[in-house]
Amino acid sequence: MDSNKKYWKGLEELQQTPAFVESSKGEFAEPIPVEDVLNEAGLSTKTPRRDFLKALGFGLGAVTLAACNRTPVHKAVPYVIKPEEVTPGIPNFYASSFNGQSVLVRTREGRPISIAANPNSIGLNQGTDATAAASVLDLYDMSKLQNPQVGGKDVDWTKLDATVIAALDKAASAGKQITIVSNSVNSPSTLAAIAKLAEKYPTTTHVQVDAVSYSGIIEANRASFGKAVVPSYHFQNANVVVSVAADFLGSWLAGEEHTQDYIKNRDYKSLKNGKMSRHIQFESGLSMTGTNADVRIAIKPSEEGAALISLYNAITGQSLAGGITNKKAQTAITLAAKELTNARGAAVVVAGSNDVNVQSLVNAVNSALGAYGSIIDLDNYSKQYQGSDAAFQQFLANATAGQVGVAFFLNSNPVYDYFKPADVQNALAKVDFTLSFADRADETASELNAIAPNCTFLEAWGDSSSKEGYYTVVQPTINPVFNTRQAEQSLLVWAGDNTNIYEFVRQNWENNILAGTGKAWKDVLQTGFIYKGSETGSSYTANVDVNAVTTAINTAAKAIAGDFELKLYESTSIRDGRYANNAYLQELPDPVSKVTWDNYAALNPRDAEKLGLGENGKVTVEANGYSVELPVVLQPGQALGTVSVAVGYGRTKVGKAGNNVGKNAYPFAQVVNGTVQFAAKASVTKAGGTYELAQTQTHHTIEGRNIIRETTFAKYLKDPNSESGRFADSHKTYDLWNKFEAPGHKWVMAIDLNACTGCGSCIVACNVENNVPVVGRDEVRRRREMHWLRIDRYYTLETAEGKLTKEKEIAKATDYDYEDVTVVHQPMLCQHCDHAPCETVCPVLATVHSSEGLNHMAYNRCFGTRYCANNCPYKVRRFNWFNYWNDSRFDNYLNNEFTQLVLNPDVTTRSRGVMEKCSMCIQRIQAGKLEAKIEKRKLRDGDVKMACQEACSANAIIFGDINDPESEVSKALRNERVYYVLEEINVQPNIGYMTKVRNTFEA
Amino acid sequence: MRNISSVLGKLAKTMSVGLMLLFAVTMSRAQDAANGAALFKANACQSCHAIGKKLTGPDLAGLAERREEAWIIKWIHNPQGMVDSGDPIAVELKGQYPTMMASYANLSEDDIRDIIAYVGAEEVKLAEKAVTGDAGAAGGGASNDANTLMIVGLIAIVVLAVVVIVVLNRVIRSLEKVIAANQAAIEAAQAKNEVYQESSVAKFAKAFVQNKKLVGFAVLGLVAFLGVLGWNTMWNVGVHTGYQPVQPIKFSHQIHAGVNQIECQYCHGGAYKSKNASIPSANVCMNCHNTVTASDHYDGAVSPEIAKIYKAVDFNPETKEYGNNPKPIQWVRIHNLPDFAYFNHSQHVTVAGVECQTCHGPIENMEEVYQYSPLTMKWCVDCHRETEVDVNNAYYDQLIEAHEKLKKGEKMTAAMIGGLECGKCHY
Repeated sequence: MDSNKKYWKGLEELQQTPAFVESSKGEFAEPIPVEDVLNEAGLSTKTPRRDFLKALGFGLGAVTLAACNRTPVHKAVPYVIKPEEVTPGIPNFYASSFNGQSVLVRTREGRPISIAANPNSIGLNQGTDATAAASVLDLYDMSKLQNPQVGGKDVDWTKLDATVIAALDKAASAGKQITIVSNSVNSPSTLAAIAKLAEKYPTTTHVQVDAVSYSGIIEANRASFGKAVVPSYHFQNANVVVSVAADFLGSWLAGEEHTQDYIKNRDYKSLKNGKMSRHIQFESGLSMTGTNADVRIAIKPSEEGAALISLYNAITGQSLAGGITNKKAQTAITLAAKELTNARGAAVVVAGSNDVNVQSLVNAVNSALGAYGSIIDLDNYSKQYQGSDAAFQQFLANATAGQVGVAFFLNSNPVYDYFKPADVQNALAKVDFTLSFADRADETASELNAIAPNCTFLEAWGDSSSKEGYYTVVQPTINPVFNTRQAEQSLLVWAGDNTNIYEFVRQNWENNILAGTGKAWKDVLQTGFIYKGSETGSSYTANVDVNAVTTAINTAAKAIAGDFELKLYESTSIRDGRYANNAYLQELPDPVSKVTWDNYAALNPRDAEKLGLGENGKVTVEANGYSVELPVVLQPGQALGTVSVAVGYGRTKVGKAGNNVGKNAYPFAQVVNGTVQFAAKASVTKAGGTYELAQTQTHHTIEGRNIIRETTFAKYLKDPNSESGRFADSHKTYDLWNKFEAPGHKWVMAIDLNACTGCGSCIVACNVENNVPVVGRDEVRRRREMHWLRIDRYYTLETAEGKLTKEKEIAKATDYDYEDVTVVHQPMLCQHCDHAPCETVCPVLATVHSSEGLNHMAYNRCFGTRYCANNCPYKVRRFNWFNYWNDSRFDNYLNNEFTQLVLNPDVTTRSRGVMEKCSMCIQRIQAGKLEAKIEKRKLRDGDVKMACQEACSANAIIFGDINDPESEVSKALRNERVYYVLEEINVQPNIGYMTKVRNTFEA
Repeated sequence: MRNISSVLGKLAKTMSVGLMLLFAVTMSRAQDAANGAALFKANACQSCHAIGKKLTGPDLAGLAERREEAWIIKWIHNPQGMVDSGDPIAVELKGQYPTMMASYANLSEDDIRDIIAYVGAEEVKLAEKAVTGDAGAAGGGASNDANTLMIVGLIAIVVLAVVVIVVLNRVIRSLEKVIAANQAAIEAAQAKNEVYQESSVAKFAKAFVQNKKLVGFAVLGLVAFLGVLGWNTMWNVGVHTGYQPVQPIKFSHQIHAGVNQIECQYCHGGAYKSKNASIPSANVCMNCHNTVTASDHYDGAVSPEIAKIYKAVDFNPETKEYGNNPKPIQWVRIHNLPDFAYFNHSQHVTVAGVECQTCHGPIENMEEVYQYSPLTMKWCVDCHRETEVDVNNAYYDQLIEAHEKLKKGEKMTAAMIGGLECGKCHY
């Protein structure tokens, strides 16, 4: 059964623009000049005989000379004294933590090479986000400082310490303030170290401020419950989720943990039990969370408050003024309110706004829904964001008034990420001594008196507490590679305490955290975490003055309402900008727009049309007195009259990879009601010139073939096979080839389209595991990205009259406004076909099938005809146009011996001129098998995990041996929803996909 | 011309006779020497004696010249008795070597003669090695195969030069002959009755050159010969069998693994559990060499090779204390696999139970390690085709079909369970 829906990756495909049709025909983005050579003139050109002989002779001579090279002498240098726990060739795993998540760091011969979630931890214990997977690269970043600096010159630590202590003493004797400005600090030892400094210098204050602020939630909770905290959310307990502009699966609070919880109500196991949550999203720009919603309504930023007012009215039966006027939204809110009320106790509303009033109203709604306790937990609250915008503004005022003697900046870069950098610069000029702990001379640090470079988390002792009662350790996996010292140690030294940081952290744990738990420090080093909190939170009732709040919301909404409204957002990879120099993250396509290496202005295609913009157009966006030229992305799903821009880009002093990538959008922000807010009234005008974004959305197109299966939850309940459209169910197939026998293992994969949120952390994990090179913006434009695994994002259109599905209908229809689109994310990687088309066309047998069902790729055999890529129906093969990891023209990050230490020693780096593709992490399969063989036992299910699988918090990727009927993947593939992509061409892929199920209203 | 050839002929005769004689001598000795070698090992003579080197006992090189056979037999049968009886040589030896040799009365006189023959044979080998060794040393330790290539090349050039000289000589001679013939024709005209006699060689050459078919065949033959030579050379590019670089420490596997029977695993533990066999770190050496200094061979001083370990770990043998300035030992890697080939020791050693010697050769007899196996893919594949899988390993129970076959009593080789597939080694 064929689906009659039309899926498209980009507007080019939907409208079948001539350029798209042209480029989808060719194998390469740029035409290869075959015609020029093989035409009549080219062929009849007489190469002078003498020239030919000269070239021949020279070539022969050169090759002979080159071949006369002596065999290079390889040195083998063993340890002088081998550490007991290190065996060369065998990885060691250390429990540590990144951004509060308990992780396992894999090291080889003493160097960290990858990071995975700690499976035994609580909370987020499966999968990491893209930044965690990529963070290992930051250790090997050459843009970091190699020595402490005073006045921009390298000094040694003694000199720096003397300078700092003199400054501190001076400030103390003058009675001036000593301020430590940091992002949210939840590490008990860091706080203890700061307390030590405060002990010696009593004028010390600690100001926490986050570039992307959650002050609004904190202040709202202070007002509503008397608890100034950001709660933690348990989406697994929510049957109905309504989000108003909160990208809660992506960058909002703990996106990855939310994903893990949220998917538990939506994945194949939940569906098997006949259960699926409903998710309704109201937002202006199409966020990753919005793409996963069952119902998504496009609203303007100024309508966010109004939507919540309407929702509150519908739920509580009150009639507050200022409800939403948008027709579509009104209908949706009525339905959503009904759903929410019916699911009372298992329903939650979240909002992305940083406005205290909006968040107070959300508290009132959630209180009415009984969400506090099981879903919203105020007891085991989150400690990831504690920043206070007001405190930072106070600091700026104090500094400008000359009351601050010393200012330290820890993980804080306000010159870049504060919306008024000039205010920060003016304030800093009035401070006697300023210092940053930044690991590089970033925008703020380079303007300060001194830099005391901090270690990365892979080099340092420490801890974190991302949630009340939950503590994780950070333990070093390598000695500091540069002459850096961790900030806590520096603070201790300046406080006159000479305790070694290891001792300090251990003592702090033993005295404060482990006391009474019966656990020892060494146990924690092994397990990585300890949890002392309660199982669930207790119930709370919000105390909100709804009338006052509503009035304030309406006033604020009026201030930003206009022809164009600007919405700033945090991208899922670069986040607030601190990962800007991580090349893996820069090249990770945005989950929605598929743009790499840039930020952009996302506009609804209809708006763009009105402005006279086409592809590669540019606009000038102006708001709050700041204006910037940005390339345009015609974004289906974007609310009309809105423009979205990502923050975190446009850094100027972050390093080689990240400098001047995109434009800084922070100055667009403004302070409303005491908090920094990311929405503003804007003007958008067409700018001259064009700019081609490196966008992967139409690369590797599958030419409109029917590869997505989608159904609704209601249909699924009636018939689990619904819309799975399996070809084999209705056709008899004939094979040209013999059946492949897999007598031992047969490795297969199941991908749950309902679980995949499209976040892309699997892509980064794959890059790190398999030494997949970053190619850079220009090469991505030429469709040369090397990712073995990509996530194809398909849109379908919906209009007011109903779904526009069939191709012909779309061609006829003209009245759709592109606001209503639904999205399916499909991870696409080598399908390891049993009857692989690539294998039959390889002239040198470089790609062949194995007895374990894998499609092997022997790089040393490949000589680059690229026939295989041309013949692959899934377009998953990648060609190495250059030696990306060792070619100065592509020096994004890897062209030095130091950064090359990040490479996985078990995987070859491919050289120019060979094909590569997903190997199904064969190095992991082989290692898993070997371990079983050495232990003389059977291979157990779960012994071998793919890098992508390990990184997936949604458990969307399941891998295993189908010859083992009890394996998880066997069970998953017996699911009724399973179908195989392009099954009809009978290449017999080994990766099964499960239909996308949408829990829509009309069902 | 004839003179030269006759001289050469004589020389060749003498040489071949000499060679035959030498061969006969070696052959007659070899039988004894083989038995002698076995006896030498069986009685653990090598634990105190070496040929060409002083160990606990004296260097055996030059034994036959130094001592009479009867004296040696007597000494081996009862050394202490000879010292007691006041034999001057015995007493002198006693003074030089404090450790008294045990008596080997079990050895027959013939046995002892065999051992002497073995010692003699070893001496010859040593002398030969010294000659080739010098030539090799000149090229440096970096790359032996480059040297052989160079030598082969040099020989080829010399041969080519000789051929060129011969051909040129021929040309000159032919020209001379032409002149001579012309002269002869004039002379013949002058003296018609005189008979001209041409030499047989020239006749042959003339016939050869005139016979175009023959020339064609000769050229063809030459091309074929060069082709085969080139083909073989090409096949062996990058194959470094016999590669024996000079190492920073003259470490002898023969002494450690052979004489002292130290388990391979003691130093190369990685081979049993990891991809890398791993070269032992210097602290492993120190487990023994803390006390073993071989100073008895160096007049009480620490062996210079062992001193290199002390330097690496910054150890003072006098005070037995470690300093703070260790420097790693930079060994030269002998077995080099290309980057694209993945090899895991533990798979072969622990899982398959392959002996170290299968790939590394008689390592326990190697004074200095050289590459024994070619390490080519053909060599890997050949072994995978033949090696049977260990049926008792429970892991293989999973391989359903393999299991079926085993039940039928059929052989199951590594190749049959995917041991030849690209992705098993290349990823």
